[in-house]
Amino acid sequence: MSDTALDRVARATPPRVARRIRGFSDRAIAWIFVAPTIVLLLAINIFPLIWTIYLSFTNYRANRPNAVVEWVGFRNYQRILGDPEIWQTMQATAHFLFWTLFFQVLFGFALAWLINAKFRGSNLWTTIIVLPMMLSPAVVGNFWTFLYQPQIGIFNYAVAFVTGADPSSFSMIGDVRLAPWSIVIVDTWMWTPFVMLICLAGLRSIPESIYEAAECDRASKWRQFWTITVPMVLPFLMLAVLFRGIENFKMFDLVVQLTGGGPGSTTELTSINLKREAFEKWRTGYASAYAVILFVTVFGLASIYVKALNTVKNR
Amino acid sequence: MSSYSITEPSMRLKWIAGVLVVLYALITLVPLLWIIATGFKSSSDAIAYPPKVVFEPTLEGYVNLFTRQTRASAEQLSENPPTTWYEQIVHDNGMVISGPSRFGERFMNSVIIGFGSTFLSVFLGTLAAYAFSRYRIPLKDDLMFFILSTRMMPPIAVAIPIFLMFRAAGLSDTHAGMILLYTAVNLSLAVWLLKGFIDEIPREYEEAALIDGYTRFQAFVKVVLPQAATGIASTAIFCLIFAWNEYAFAVLLTSGTAQTAPPFIPTIIGVGGRDWPAVAAGATLFLVPVMVFTILLRKHLLRGITFGAVRK
Amino acid sequence: MSGFLNGLLRLRRGPWEMLASILIGLGIFMLMQPFFLWAFTWSFIVTLTGTVMFLIVSHFPE
Repeated sequence: MSDTALDRVARATPPRVARRIRGFSDRAIAWIFVAPTIVLLLAINIFPLIWTIYLSFTNYRANRPNAVVEWVGFRNYQRILGDPEIWQTMQATAHFLFWTLFFQVLFGFALAWLINAKFRGSNLWTTIIVLPMMLSPAVVGNFWTFLYQPQIGIFNYAVAFVTGADPSSFSMIGDVRLAPWSIVIVDTWMWTPFVMLICLAGLRSIPESIYEAAECDRASKWRQFWTITVPMVLPFLMLAVLFRGIENFKMFDLVVQLTGGGPGSTTELTSINLKREAFEKWRTGYASAYAVILFVTVFGLASIYVKALNTVKNR
Repeated sequence: MSSYSITEPSMRLKWIAGVLVVLYALITLVPLLWIIATGFKSSSDAIAYPPKVVFEPTLEGYVNLFTRQTRASAEQLSENPPTTWYEQIVHDNGMVISGPSRFGERFMNSVIIGFGSTFLSVFLGTLAAYAFSRYRIPLKDDLMFFILSTRMMPPIAVAIPIFLMFRAAGLSDTHAGMILLYTAVNLSLAVWLLKGFIDEIPREYEEAALIDGYTRFQAFVKVVLPQAATGIASTAIFCLIFAWNEYAFAVLLTSGTAQTAPPFIPTIIGVGGRDWPAVAAGATLFLVPVMVFTILLRKHLLRGITFGAVRK
Repeated sequence: MSGFLNGLLRLRRGPWEMLASILIGLGIFMLMQPFFLWAFTWSFIVTLTGTVMFLIVSHFPE
């Protein structure tokens, strides 16, 4: 690779000209390096996106590829946004989103704060705590249905052990009232370490000198916590919350394996609902409009996320 | 403690913190340990009440995971005495092995698709990240945001047109199709992470190489790449873990020849009810490599999950 | 507050991005709130406006 025609020319030319050739090839290299990425992303992300937007204005059905495709204008959007069932789905998503974020921030921040006390072996235990978040949500979610079994599951057994209730008296994923909480529990178990890691980075970014100055001013520990620790960690916390918010808004694998959206449709989150419309009922046009609505929502959140990312980066 | 520091937590606080964190870690570990333990239980131990913590380990689950079996009559069983240890285990349950199960294939699919897409996305990602890090590219910020936003999209929403596209191009349920798709999804992570790593390599090294008569490309290969080796390795592990764990695209776009392990493991069923030891055995084989990688990766975890923004 | 209004008038990035973020947040709240069906119906328009606005105003000068 060292002896291309261009190199030979470059070596044979006087320095001034050579620099110009190099300058030119710099720009060429930049484009050659970036082009494959952009082309691939255009082909696998943007082209499909445009196709989805087109389909969302039609009544196309993927299981009838030869049927006549009609242009229906905004009718798909009107139907989705006026549908109380999809509204219900959104509320199930909101319940999941709100409580998972609440518990993950609570536990994640508390854990980070405790780990930041730098007791002996804290690094080892941090690594252990982090394990669940790297695992396959589908496989783990599937196994959690075993832990949630009323008779033999270890979760019910543990709850029974603590509360004294009969372990077979309740079913986490079979009960309409408990099922929304069963997915919150597993998601919290899985993703608390994520919030913890980011909070920990936030805590470690606070310079010691600020606390020392506060100590000189005789500010109480409680006051230091609220006036120094919390505001300094907040940008990091925002980042974690936004990212988990996006991820849980589009949650699919874990919940589909845990409850499959049931019982009834109590845990049918938007992605599961969308999968039903698109790949079980095959209402492709309608589902495309649904997908566009989710796209725009996630895109909006993602732009705020990138802003938060830059705030943290500049710290 | 000899040196007194006002910001250093007291010994008592350290103790309390340590105990609480260890307690949380142990509770967190229970489901994982339970998966591993269940894999070594006999099917009656697995569904015993109360749940058994102490049990006699057996490889029954693993044998069931890798084989297909049929029930045999007492006559057939006595006519065909078992010759290997795994035939013995099956024999004791009154069954005979009729062939290998599909788990091996599905696991290999995961390996092929995981490594294939990781290689491609890290290769393309390194090139793009270098260009983004070193050159003035018009609309750089917009391009970077566009690249990141492609990863944020809900997989089910993306899957609708991809499904149609793959169907038209004959890529559905093929390794090539899945590798291409996972490459596209991972590329954004690879570009963002690697840009962070390459940004940290001082430009002076390359400039020195350029003065020594290297071309830009030579400087990239001989100076930048070796410097970025750790970054490239950890990016590769992140991509691999993502492709390994991915479920939504896999379940919608593959069903047979290219099906990966995550959609397959939940479909494992035994004779008469779910064979939980076999499911657990499959899950163990599938999850343990990721746990090992996570431990290897612990120093770079934070970068990986924040697209390289938080560096500690 | 006057700085914020001033920034808006002079087409500065910071306050406009803030405004767009608030619109996006409002849209998402309307999408998922359990109280009014009409809010759910109009949520998409609000989110879309916020998102498009964000894309435009992020190119304003600092």
